[in-house]
Amino acid sequence: MSAAITLWNKQMMKSLRNTEEMIGMLIQPVLWVVLFGVGMGSLLGPAMPGGDDFYISFMLPGIIALTASGGAIGGGSVWLMERIQGIVKEYLAAPIPRLSILMGNALSIVTKALLQSIVILIVGVIVGANISTNPLGWLGGLALVAGFALGFAGIAIMFASNTDNPGAYHMMIMLFNLPLLFLSNALYPLETMPTWMRIGALINPTTYVVTGLRYTLLDVDPNLVQVETIPLWLCFLAIAIFACLGMWLGYRAFKKSLK
Amino acid sequence: MSKVIKNNLAIEARGLVKRFGEDILAVDGVDLAIESNTIYALLGPNGAGKTTTINMLTTLLEPTEGTANVAGFDIVKQANDVRSSIGVTFQETTLDNELTGVQTLDYHARLYGMSKDQRQTKIAELLALVELEDAANRAISTYSGGMKRRLELIRGLMTDPNVLFLDEPTLGLDPQSRARIGDYIVELKEDRGMSVLLTTHYMDEAEQLADKVAIIDHGKILIEGTPSELVDQMGADVITIAGQGNKDDFIEKVNDLSCCETITTGNGIIQIGVDAGSRRLVEIISLANETDFTVEDISVAKPSLGDVFLKYTGRQFRD
Repeated sequence: MSAAITLWNKQMMKSLRNTEEMIGMLIQPVLWVVLFGVGMGSLLGPAMPGGDDFYISFMLPGIIALTASGGAIGGGSVWLMERIQGIVKEYLAAPIPRLSILMGNALSIVTKALLQSIVILIVGVIVGANISTNPLGWLGGLALVAGFALGFAGIAIMFASNTDNPGAYHMMIMLFNLPLLFLSNALYPLETMPTWMRIGALINPTTYVVTGLRYTLLDVDPNLVQVETIPLWLCFLAIAIFACLGMWLGYRAFKKSLK
Repeated sequence: MSKVIKNNLAIEARGLVKRFGEDILAVDGVDLAIESNTIYALLGPNGAGKTTTINMLTTLLEPTEGTANVAGFDIVKQANDVRSSIGVTFQETTLDNELTGVQTLDYHARLYGMSKDQRQTKIAELLALVELEDAANRAISTYSGGMKRRLELIRGLMTDPNVLFLDEPTLGLDPQSRARIGDYIVELKEDRGMSVLLTTHYMDEAEQLADKVAIIDHGKILIEGTPSELVDQMGADVITIAGQGNKDDFIEKVNDLSCCETITTGNGIIQIGVDAGSRRLVEIISLANETDFTVEDISVAKPSLGDVFLKYTGRQFRD
């Protein structure tokens, strides 16, 4: 575990010193909230039952999920570059567990996702989202984000372990990422989807993190955000399974790449 | 501060084999017995199996067959003990350009569980050893090739390893940097009692540094010995000929001469070990004239490890 913390520390230090990366990390979610949220909100808001600011609140968890998966993609890319540059060999020759190499990378992804989530929430409040003031809700929400980011980090590491080509990696991961966002209830409610799409959304972990975040982070009438089809405990269970599954897939692919 | 290792062998390998998939046999039964406190050089053309052998000994790859002990530990069953006892410099640069020299050494030592005090002392000592103090806090992206190599070398030394693996430590460096790294390697053996396994593309380097040399090709060790043992078996002089025409006929004629100890052909180069070079030169040229072979280039020289290499691998070493 101390090796994982050392590697986490190294990744975080590199990110914090990289001004462009830091600015991008903070600006991108703000752009989503302000441009997409406010734009769509002004179109849909008046028609929605919760009023003008309702859509911003509704889509904020989706932006958090999107940002977390974007962070995981970036983390997978760091992993790929470390493999291509042979830096992973330095870790492999050290007396540390193989899993800790993976965990160091994944933990830095999770840390960044949590920081970005907080930024999104703050910007959300500024543009008028109704955020819960219950600290337990925040804690639960951040736990869901951490689990989702961990699972996605594992999947990104899996893709990054299976190729030596950054272009191929980004192509594959984008193909995977797009349906995860749009085939979920992140941007539109489950109720209005056609049945085939609703089935897709129900096997998509994004739906569970988004629903869970609507329960825990928002201060709006639960009926309005239509969370009643999925209970909160199921959100936590699904995200826990997704986190374990993702890490297992990433670890398996990593081990295979060492043969 | 000489390091004593069980049965005095730093590295002991028995029948190491590595296959990649069905078709590729990278290492085909390598046996090694490297005594501690020696410098051992593995020489071989590209693709000979040097790096794969090192990757197995440093626990990055598991052997398909065979076993090996490094610093007294089994490379598969006691991989973590092996990792704690060795230092490695890989063939390709494995530095993170965004870090500084000090950060590189510090993070490395943290992975091995060294305390902060230990790390600081060691970093200062090793930076001084390779004269990198001035660049210590600069990003590695500003380093020259030689500086990067020196930094990688001392990264491998941070944990005071018993056995040091250096895969092409001087590849692509200018002669001055090569000579410096060579000096450091000898110092490590003599002052710190380390055992060093290195691979190199430079024959002269192996000749100067190594106590023992092994020539490896197609995943097998072809011959092993001290540099002088290997060179001595080539004869007093070596005549090297390049030419065109009926080579086979010419070689047959040369073989009939009693003076000629060795003949090698590879890449169109003919190499003849003789008892006295300048005296036999005339004889050999006249043989070429008798046969249908045109000599384009001929030289006489004292044999070197390069000639030994050519004899055993049939390939000329490019440096």
